[in-house]
Amino acid sequence: MRVKHLKTVLIASAMIGIGQWSSSALAQNAAADNLYKRGLAATCANCHGTDGKGVLDGGMPLINGLTSEQMLATLKAYKSGAREGTIMPQLAKGYTDEQLETIANQLGKK
Amino acid sequence: MNRRHFIGQSAAALGLVTGFSTQAHANLPKAEILVIGGGYGGATVAKYLRLFSNNTAKVTLIEPNASFVSCPMSNLVVGGSRKMSEITTSYDNLSKRHGIKMIQDSVVSMDADKKTVKLASGKTLRYDKAVVSPGVSLMMNTVEGLAQANKAGVTLQAWKAGAETVALHKQIAAMRDGGTFILSIPEAPYRCPPGPYERACQVANYLKQNKPKSKVLILDANQDVTSKGALFKKVWAEQYGGIIEYLPKHNVTGVDAKTKTVKLEVQDDVKGDVLNILPAMSAGEIAVKTGLANSNGRWVNVNFLNFESTAQKDIHVLGDAIQIAPAMPKSGHMANQHAKVAAAAIVAELSGWEVNPAPVLTNTCYSFVNDKEVVHVASVHQYSAAEKTFKTVPGSGGLSPAPSTLEGVYAWGWAHNIWADSLA
Repeated sequence: MRVKHLKTVLIASAMIGIGQWSSSALAQNAAADNLYKRGLAATCANCHGTDGKGVLDGGMPLINGLTSEQMLATLKAYKSGAREGTIMPQLAKGYTDEQLETIANQLGKK
Repeated sequence: MNRRHFIGQSAAALGLVTGFSTQAHANLPKAEILVIGGGYGGATVAKYLRLFSNNTAKVTLIEPNASFVSCPMSNLVVGGSRKMSEITTSYDNLSKRHGIKMIQDSVVSMDADKKTVKLASGKTLRYDKAVVSPGVSLMMNTVEGLAQANKAGVTLQAWKAGAETVALHKQIAAMRDGGTFILSIPEAPYRCPPGPYERACQVANYLKQNKPKSKVLILDANQDVTSKGALFKKVWAEQYGGIIEYLPKHNVTGVDAKTKTVKLEVQDDVKGDVLNILPAMSAGEIAVKTGLANSNGRWVNVNFLNFESTAQKDIHVLGDAIQIAPAMPKSGHMANQHAKVAAAAIVAELSGWEVNPAPVLTNTCYSFVNDKEVVHVASVHQYSAAEKTFKTVPGSGGLSPAPSTLEGVYAWGWAHNIWADSLA
């Protein structure tokens, strides 16, 4: 009896533990993934503003009027050489397609 | 930060605390994070620690200067086409908008074992995480007589923007027509690889208009121009013929303040009127004093995934002070990029999450060849897990084909945006 009882308690507590762990781990993964995306998009902020909100009349083309689709198309055109520019064709070639997609999703107009 | 947002964040933090891995989650809002130095690296890491933690991290920034003066663009003030007010930004938004505690003071020592820093005012502060972004120190003792010449008011470097930037312009403005401005460049690595060559252009641009019989003599310890070489040489020939003379492999070893003579390692002495002698550089003093400069005693080795010093746990080092990865310049733009990788890694670590295993950095650097035309160099650096360093991506990055006024507009666009990204 005693052993059986202990076993039940152990199983129950283990299950609670797992339950807590998995819901928390999911939350962690979503938050960590969001942080990763924000960090990648922040590589653009030096020239195009924090979160893509550039300085108005600052001299740099603004990007925050573009939708994610428009931004991704523009970035891919810079990467392929279809679109000319000064710095952007050189920078776009340094990112993977997945990275460009993440950036466009982060910074595109919602 | 509004009240509702704050309560929401606190509740979220508490919710996490009751879940798995209590200790790690509790660390983010509880940790004391001290940022030492408010340049491009320090200001940016302070702001992004707040942004990436959804304003839950406790961040204190210690910086001796009352406002931020940009080194990029400061050569235009040396040349007289721009004013200090145009390159100066207040620190106010870091506290007002981002809730960062600002302390105007300097750090005199750090105790990495006790995790404390001592301020010039005498106060001692404790930290859980320190981010040191100290810039560079000028190694005055590498050029004989330079410290004395500086003290006598004969020479100054203006390699940290501020009062010296204005003072150097005044020296050039006071120089006789027919005088020689000598600019000496130490062996790489030093802060801002194309900076000296841009400065030569700005001084020559001023002299061409105001004292056309004068000369700019560049004494470069390096084998050749270290950045944008072909572009600069073309400009010197086309726009500053007869004004700029470039001498590579000319290593300055001494200076005589009385006779304004520069001594070279190999060649004969040269005399000038205004001497802008840039000595070799190392990581900022506090990094060296704290024993962080474990690369040749000059630069700080870091783990490139989180910019933690390899010498001391929980001290992260950014910007010009670090031992660079291959083809990584010591630039303000790069320091801002280091800061974002470090901020994300610190937030992840204190939250108990995995640190991003594949960070990316970019660099963009504009140089003014006169008061309007600009050339750039750009690069993208992806982390290589195999080599544990950043590597430039083959086929990416590059230079301007030629100077242009369009890039002059973009250069100011870059400046306004990076100042806002770091400080607003």
